[in-house]
Amino acid sequence: MAMSLSCASSIFTPKKSSTTPFTFNFPSHSPSISSSFLRFTSQSCTRHLSSSTFVPKLSQTEAPSVESEAEAVEVQQEPEAVEFEQAEQTLTTTESKGEDVFAVVMIGGRQYIVFPGRFLYTQRLKGANVDDKIILNKVLLVGTKTSTYIGKPIVPNAAVHAVVEEQGLDPKVVVFKYKKKKNYRRNIGHRQPNTRIRILGITGYQDSPASTLP
Amino acid sequence: MNKKEVFKLAKGFRGRAKNCIRIARERVEKALQYSYRDRRNKKRDMRSLWIERINAGTRVHGVNYGNFMHGLVKENIQLNRKVLSELSMHEPYSFKALVDVSRTAFPGNKSLPSAPKKEGLSILV
Repeated sequence: MAMSLSCASSIFTPKKSSTTPFTFNFPSHSPSISSSFLRFTSQSCTRHLSSSTFVPKLSQTEAPSVESEAEAVEVQQEPEAVEFEQAEQTLTTTESKGEDVFAVVMIGGRQYIVFPGRFLYTQRLKGANVDDKIILNKVLLVGTKTSTYIGKPIVPNAAVHAVVEEQGLDPKVVVFKYKKKKNYRRNIGHRQPNTRIRILGITGYQDSPASTLP
Repeated sequence: MNKKEVFKLAKGFRGRAKNCIRIARERVEKALQYSYRDRRNKKRDMRSLWIERINAGTRVHGVNYGNFMHGLVKENIQLNRKVLSELSMHEPYSFKALVDVSRTAFPGNKSLPSAPKKEGLSILV
């Protein structure tokens, strides 16, 4: 498993070099806001600016958990991201009317079934700001109404586009450690940092071999 | 933990464990120990549940769990058991496609040509 994963990451690396590396400047979003969806996310951005001040400290504490993020998450630069995003939205609307599509995507070492338009909580994606657009390349399976694209291990060129909505924390977990007869007890609270992303669309799977369904 | 917190956590306990602080503290500490342990156990419990679900899903198509997973490994399909169980429940046609891929990859799967004798399940498919 580990060997084949490394081969998958070697597939990603040329793409990573071609697209621009991590550059975040999301104030330039605001003139191009057209849809209500984007307006909603910008509101959430302002709401969480205060919370984002203490984010880096928490994300440092869980350093080993997100190791494969560098391949899976590539945040685009702003100008092309905006126009690309609008084209993306038209594409998803036509697709969602015509057929339901879902994908299985690997985010932070975990696999999720994602549908366009829905949100999901993942492990904290470090270095991603609210309203950043991310492209998830580790697509393991894409299903439409008529066909299924099974990746071995990934579907070539397929990508899931998503936007970061919130950098939050999981509900509190009480970590109570106790050893009998040793006078040892520890009572610690823990909140695992998470990221809420909303799936915008699934692209690039059409030219790969599919097994059509009855 | 102070008294107030203990009683807050002891809500819904039976008998004096919800009213008397000495008993409530004892029970709450034990409950927190169980929850610490069972957060670990949850991982393996869920995995066994997923395996049961995948097994039920593949046997509808005449393949058992072990042969199905072996076929997937041969084809280098790296879907995990959580996703496979969800596919078997909610995406039956995609799951059927996976079973077909696994069956062609591992010839041992071909020995079972059709669905087993369970009439109730085979009617559904």
